[in-house]
Amino acid sequence: MAIYETLNSDKLTVVLDIGTVYTKFGFAGEFAPRNIMKSTVRCKRTDRLRRIWDYESPEDLYDLLVEFIHVIYFKYAILSPKDKPIIIVESLLCPTLFRETLAKVLFSHFEISMMLCLPSHLVSLASMAVDTALVVDVGYKEAVVIPICHGLPMLQAWQALPLGAQAIHNKVRQLLGSNNTGIQNLGEDVMEDIKVRCCFVTEKSRALQFASEKPSIQFCPDVKYPIGGTESIIVSGKVREKAFEILYEEDNDHLCLSTMILDAILQVDINLRQLLAENIFLIGGTAMTAGFKARLKEELEGQLENERYGKLHLKKLAFHSPPCKENYAAWLGGAIYGATELLNMRAVTKEIYFKEKRLPDWIHLSETSRNL
Amino acid sequence: MSYITGPDVVKYACTCGLLKPISYLYFCRYCTQLRCSFCVCHEVDSNFCGKCSENIPSSEARSKKNRCGNCYICPSCEQELSPRVASSKASAEGDEKVAARKMYYLFCQFCRWSSRDVGIPDQSSVTGGWPERENVHANSLHELLDLDKAIVLAQKQQQEKDKKKQRGKFISYTDRTGVTAAALRKRIGLPADLTHPLLKSKPKEPEPMVARTEVEKLPDDIFTKPINLMEITTINQRLLQPEAQPTTVDKLFPVHKQLSIKRTLRCRTCEHNVSKPEYNPSSVKFKIQLFAYYHVPEVRIVTVEPLRAGKPCELILKFTNPTQHQTTISFEELNLVECSEIEENKFSELVQNLSIQDKQPLSLSNQSSGSLSLSSRSPSIVVKPRTITKSTNCTVEIPTSSFILLPRDDAAEYDDSGDTHSIQDDPKLVKWRKSNKAFVRLTVTPDEGLPLNTEVNCGFVMQHLYTNTISGQLEKKEPQKYDHKVKVFLTLGVTVGSE
Ligand SMILES: [Zn+2]
Ligand SMILES: [Zn+2]
Ligand SMILES: [Zn+2]
Ligand SMILES: [Zn+2]
Repeated sequence: MAIYETLNSDKLTVVLDIGTVYTKFGFAGEFAPRNIMKSTVRCKRTDRLRRIWDYESPEDLYDLLVEFIHVIYFKYAILSPKDKPIIIVESLLCPTLFRETLAKVLFSHFEISMMLCLPSHLVSLASMAVDTALVVDVGYKEAVVIPICHGLPMLQAWQALPLGAQAIHNKVRQLLGSNNTGIQNLGEDVMEDIKVRCCFVTEKSRALQFASEKPSIQFCPDVKYPIGGTESIIVSGKVREKAFEILYEEDNDHLCLSTMILDAILQVDINLRQLLAENIFLIGGTAMTAGFKARLKEELEGQLENERYGKLHLKKLAFHSPPCKENYAAWLGGAIYGATELLNMRAVTKEIYFKEKRLPDWIHLSETSRNL
Repeated sequence: MSYITGPDVVKYACTCGLLKPISYLYFCRYCTQLRCSFCVCHEVDSNFCGKCSENIPSSEARSKKNRCGNCYICPSCEQELSPRVASSKASAEGDEKVAARKMYYLFCQFCRWSSRDVGIPDQSSVTGGWPERENVHANSLHELLDLDKAIVLAQKQQQEKDKKKQRGKFISYTDRTGVTAAALRKRIGLPADLTHPLLKSKPKEPEPMVARTEVEKLPDDIFTKPINLMEITTINQRLLQPEAQPTTVDKLFPVHKQLSIKRTLRCRTCEHNVSKPEYNPSSVKFKIQLFAYYHVPEVRIVTVEPLRAGKPCELILKFTNPTQHQTTISFEELNLVECSEIEENKFSELVQNLSIQDKQPLSLSNQSSGSLSLSSRSPSIVVKPRTITKSTNCTVEIPTSSFILLPRDDAAEYDDSGDTHSIQDDPKLVKWRKSNKAFVRLTVTPDEGLPLNTEVNCGFVMQHLYTNTISGQLEKKEPQKYDHKVKVFLTLGVTVGSE
């Protein structure tokens, strides 16, 4: 511990990964975020909590970000942002409006000295010293698959589906409603807590049984979940085992979590496919659920037996286990790269920003990031 | 303060374009402009622990990850933990040697969590020695970090070398990251350079992690064993310890308390402080406090006649002079469109006058030890003020005459001998006055055709004579007087029906 602290004592670089629900905050060169907090700010007018990503207009987003970044610096980082560098870990699919507004807030309101944006899928590999992997990020709004080959994100192969925590929370709510009353009045945070504490991803054989007409097995035991001290609801075994099934229910286009992963592999060069299949890397909070990896493997193997993916001829599937929790794997990559000279080489400085008035595009960045 | 000044029916327009009640505004005496928390530069002044009220130097705060070394919060409910003396069994048995040593454990008075719940042994000292959890991956991650640093550094050196080469008009086409090989690879559909030529110079390379084919299975008993929710942590308890994120309560460890800060606020235009707290954590006083409340006359609504669309009604406002100097107040019509244009012109002038090069980096020698490594700071960026979006739906009849506000005199507050001022007031304008306060009558007319129960907003520009004592002292001249204009917005209430 002491080693990197002395290295960094002269320069503290904030590393931020602003997720839809949770923001990971910490300093470059450290191996875990200092804080994981909700990406919300309290609205001064209405006194209600608002999610940053629920912005209504660019001006609205600007004000939300000012408030949010202020709290990060003065409550958590305990650091004056002026003339300090910052590292932002962001999705390659991050909307331009969000990136540009964030840059504007950081440079003109907080007067930071430089800003380095790192693509989350790419840098999440940093903690494992591999440069080729199929990165599957299961976040809140969606699951995004991007293959990384020799340190280069294969952007033409990306896949995204709205299969994330949000879909699961809705499923939990729907399933709970069948044997409880008043579920609609409970907040999403309750759904999240029920999901995290009670639910898991069940085995494929059991899922098939439950889907059949007369299941020969029973759901796992029910749980009595207290609400507000005096009341309680029943979280049935059905809810516990079926909430995550939504990830593998094929939609109208026959797409689900397992098919999108294989579709992404299909999109890359034939010589790289086997290598990617042997380097599957799951990140994002949803991937931390018990049984997630085991079930995904079963589902992928099942899909490979279908004609649709048989042509892939994949012999083996293998999964990485990062030296961290999946929900901050991308942040950790940012923290590792942030401690290198990369910051001084690639960051957008205040001078460049005010000259150009905008950030360079990802296309531009991804070309130069090959050697990452 | 909100119980004195609230509800926020009177708002002032800050120079940056935001509307705020006067208690939220600052007044920079050097710029004679209003400032607010949005348009000033915030800086960390000092760190302290809110529980033990201990000032922590910033170097120590950094090494302790912005947390207090001695105070802990409950990993279960996030309240503060307090040390408790363990009732020693040894003393009951009469063993004097052991009885002399008190043992402590941490206890939460809110949810009754204790450090004994998770098997942390009792400690012999109140303040410390509580075991810390280590990151099991720290060593391998260290190696990685060192390697990445080396790679990137080598890249940087390579880049610089390349630059030099090019400058010398000597461009090599056949170096190791050669164009030909890369082009070839691209043609056959492979990404360009595969091997990292720079890696070879690195003596030690951590093993790349190998992905596994066998994955963690669900525990067998998960399908049959009932779960006890009391043993499973909530999402908040997990995220309170980001590194470990324990899923069961027996792995919860006490969490060091996050430090708090005191902030210094600095005007971005002139780099002077508008607020600077005292260093002592338990002091709530300020070294510098340029609150607008002490410099700009306060406006309050006293009474307003029932508001009817299109009908004039009487509005009584109270003006208070907070300064030690007599001031004159006059009114101007509020013209938001024109205002923003003038503001914009003023801003571009300002930027020209204070372009970044012109502004001298300000030496911070008088700063407290909180920011020791900073010897100078780059000049602030002035953000363009935004246009005021608030709209009015009520006209104010602007009085042509002005009135005087006497200086504040604290002794006069207790003087009941009646008003002895000798001021000739316009009786139509000033209704009554006492010491530094004046009650002023205005006529307002809500717009024609406003529906019932519509909130009525009006505004005017208040011009007051501001006596600046600071510049006077500096140049040893008479105190300078400025006419300062503030846009004031009033929320009068809702329209009612005709009698
Ligand atoms: Zn302001
Ligand atoms: Zn303390
Ligand atoms: Zn507690
Ligand atoms: Zn100023």
